[in-house]
Amino acid sequence: MKNKTYMCILRSESGGCEQPSPSEMEIMYAKYQAWQEKFADNILDMGNKLANVGSVVRHDGVNDGPFIELKEVIGGYMMLTAATLDEAIEVIKASPMVSNIGTSIEIREICTP
Amino acid sequence: MNQQDQVEHLFRHEYGKLVALLSRRIGMQHVDTIEDSVQWAMTQALEFWCRERIPNHPSAWLYKVAYRQLISELRNTKRRNELLVEHFPVEENIADEDTTFSGEMSDSMLRMLFITCDDTIPTESQLVFTLKSLCGFSIKEIAHRLFITEANVYKRFSRAKQQLKQQNIELNTFNYGEMATRLPSVHRILYLVFTEGYLSSHTDMAIRHDLCEEAIHLTTLLTSSKLGEVPDSFALLALMYFHQARMKSRQDGVGALLLLEQQDRSQWNKQQITVAMEFLAQSADGDEISRYHIEAGIAAEHCLSPSFKQTRWDKIATSYQLLEHIAPSPLHQLNRAIATAEWQNPQAGLAVLKSSNIPSWLERSYHWYTVLADLYFRCNEVTLGQEYAKLAIAAAPTKSIKQLLNKRLVKR
Repeated sequence: MKNKTYMCILRSESGGCEQPSPSEMEIMYAKYQAWQEKFADNILDMGNKLANVGSVVRHDGVNDGPFIELKEVIGGYMMLTAATLDEAIEVIKASPMVSNIGTSIEIREICTP
Repeated sequence: MNQQDQVEHLFRHEYGKLVALLSRRIGMQHVDTIEDSVQWAMTQALEFWCRERIPNHPSAWLYKVAYRQLISELRNTKRRNELLVEHFPVEENIADEDTTFSGEMSDSMLRMLFITCDDTIPTESQLVFTLKSLCGFSIKEIAHRLFITEANVYKRFSRAKQQLKQQNIELNTFNYGEMATRLPSVHRILYLVFTEGYLSSHTDMAIRHDLCEEAIHLTTLLTSSKLGEVPDSFALLALMYFHQARMKSRQDGVGALLLLEQQDRSQWNKQQITVAMEFLAQSADGDEISRYHIEAGIAAEHCLSPSFKQTRWDKIATSYQLLEHIAPSPLHQLNRAIATAEWQNPQAGLAVLKSSNIPSWLERSYHWYTVLADLYFRCNEVTLGQEYAKLAIAAAPTKSIKQLLNKRLVKR
């Protein structure tokens, strides 16, 4: 079966959480490494972080960010490949990103004709 | 080297180096902003290194990011700093392959350590400042490791920081002569960091290891510097390695502490014992003998002995006596009593304790009660033994120590 491509959109609640200590960061980094190694075949692109300033353009004008009215801010994206949505969900569920409270990840298949 | 190894403790170790180097270049008075910038750079690193690869020269990467952040913070927040900041370029270009850079980093870290070990700052504040700013532990982690509250850690940390900012010593111009006079204080702090880890009865091995490893890391740095390569430093490092070699065997499978007699000597790390012996040999230079020499000597006796019974207790007992002269402490007397009991007989051990003036704080501690209980039992004075056993268990500070005492004193 041909694999599908999924875009994962990372949202996190705005507002500062407590800063992790260097050793906590070490642990987090190790978790990322382990996760990336385990799912190397599924991860197409670790994507990028999105800045929290930007603009929204509509027919009637342009709104500048930061979008503080939104409780959740899109913080980044990444690309996965998987046979099914369920498989993609499993990959994301195992990721260290979802363990952060206040973070949600939306998984959407990229439609190809 | 795989990526995992490369990163082990990279964040924590880089933290101290970066804080030291930036404090040296920008000034100790900005240490708060410096710590924030280093923290920020590390958050960025976590973000980018996970997406791409870890850069070939992580230190240089972190330094550049932290430096840029620091300068922009200083520009933004304090107008009165504008003049100062003008002296610093926005981009400080350092070549990735720059070897003097890593040398300067280590040198800065040592300078910072010497500045921290200032006699006008209380020792407990020096300890906390070292753990926070040079070893990269957070306030919470320090509280957990030293068994004190976060508020208390914060108070100690602020006190040291305030004093250091006020003095505003230039890390660059802090001269070698001044540094040399502080060497004993530096040894003391490193020794403290180590013993906090080694003697703690924390059941989480990782937590105790952390402190011991940090102490070894900093002491190694010290012994490889011109100023620090003196016999005392090598003796201290030898002592740490001897203890470290026995660390693993001090706990049984479920994390309970084990006594020396019950430890599986085959588990002792022979490689570390060899390293320790080399440092001990290096420490035997010159004619001064420090407490670290003697303590390392005692630890060596234990490490080299094939069994508990065959240990040279006579040498250990005399070493403790010597230690009492150099660094008087009733704990050494207590240890001498234990060694004497093994060397001669339990009665002789008791005699050591009876002949000395033990301070009241020790008389109420579980160490004291434990040794008394043990010696009385061995002299067949069961009633007294039981009495002290009860007192010992009641005075024990943690569950694992209570368990240990119960095993040793009650179920005999």
